[in-house]
Amino acid sequence: MTNPEPDNGKSRDELVQRLELMESMIAEGRRYTGRNSWIFVLWGVVDLVAMSWQHYSPHFGGRWAWPICLPVGVVLTIAGKVLQRGGPGYRKNEECSRVMSVWGMAGLGMGIYVAAGILTRFDWQFSYMAAIPMMIGIAHGISAAILRWRMQGVVAAVYWAGGVAILAFNSWRATNVIWLIEMGAVMVVFGLYAMRVEPTCSGGKGARA
Amino acid sequence: MTNPEADNGGKTRDELVQRLELMEAMIAEGRRSTNRCGWIFVVWGVVDIAGMAWEWFRPSYWIWPTVLTVGFVLFFLIRATQKQDPLRCANSEGRTIGAIWSMMGLAAVLYVGTGIFRHLAWQYSFIAGIFMLIGLAHAISAMVLRWRVQGLVAALWWAGGIAMFFAHGDKQIFVVFPLEMFFGMVLFGLYGMMLDRRDRSGLKGARA
Repeated sequence: MTNPEPDNGKSRDELVQRLELMESMIAEGRRYTGRNSWIFVLWGVVDLVAMSWQHYSPHFGGRWAWPICLPVGVVLTIAGKVLQRGGPGYRKNEECSRVMSVWGMAGLGMGIYVAAGILTRFDWQFSYMAAIPMMIGIAHGISAAILRWRMQGVVAAVYWAGGVAILAFNSWRATNVIWLIEMGAVMVVFGLYAMRVEPTCSGGKGARA
Repeated sequence: MTNPEADNGGKTRDELVQRLELMEAMIAEGRRSTNRCGWIFVVWGVVDIAGMAWEWFRPSYWIWPTVLTVGFVLFFLIRATQKQDPLRCANSEGRTIGAIWSMMGLAAVLYVGTGIFRHLAWQYSFIAGIFMLIGLAHAISAMVLRWRVQGLVAALWWAGGIAMFFAHGDKQIFVVFPLEMFFGMVLFGLYGMMLDRRDRSGLKGARA
């Protein structure tokens, strides 16, 4: 026998309302990720440019590929965010703030780590390379858990698999291939996917995907 | 002229105050869930300091696999004896904190496990990577819970990560690593446990 009315001190309507509110917050969080997914595409392109520069023109300032491309990426990201904030329809809820905290701190942590590694010339170590996809994987994993987004969970697993593979293969050829797949392809593809999902993810339907 | 009634998209002042109170209550609950897990920081801090001490006196490949296994056994044993699962929490703030530490734990296990298995644990950037991962989890948690103390702990871990890149000898590792584990793990864990105890005694007092 089920009693549809009083449950845990709350009526059925109240529970349905709460559920709908949660679903709409999750959907809004995903839309927020979608609105900002150009950052994934941008960083995928920045990484591809730096890798191509280093690989194809090693004697044409190849050493400086990363120290030049990374600050350019940071400047473009900040400029894009400033433009986006000034645009119409910019709003965020609690779920969005959490996702923003995750990516903000992941960006800051990775910035410090990458800069310190490049400055002290430790960027050749495999464990240095592996820690970067591990950190990106953590950010994707937390965001996936907050937004209950299976696809982002898969992306987190792909990044972790890449980090583990860099350590496991322990070779430069394998590291370059993994880096190309993770930092270029996965970043760009997920960014484009999230961009495509954003307009369709409305009315809580997207939250169940 | 201000209108105290209709404000911010048709919401009354009372509604806004209610929402603010709800948010504050959720943040407080999130912090409490971190405090309930204070013992986990203490256990891992002590385990890692013990591993480093062992490494200092008698270096061997098997130290870390042994020490980390002991850490996991202790973690699961203590967790099993607790009445309430510390990682389970009723509100969304608490669940976010659970997600942060679960994801960090999973990533750290994969990173550390593979690094040790492939004999890459000697690289300075390997230890720096561990510090950065832990710092990242603290930083995200601090942002979600608006907790300045945890933000400081995150900064401490990241500072340790940077310091590892400037290390040019084992001696520096034997200084930085135990310091990080003591201040970032043991001390923060004890601080959380102290707050948790204070909370519980306050609750008991309120019910008495």
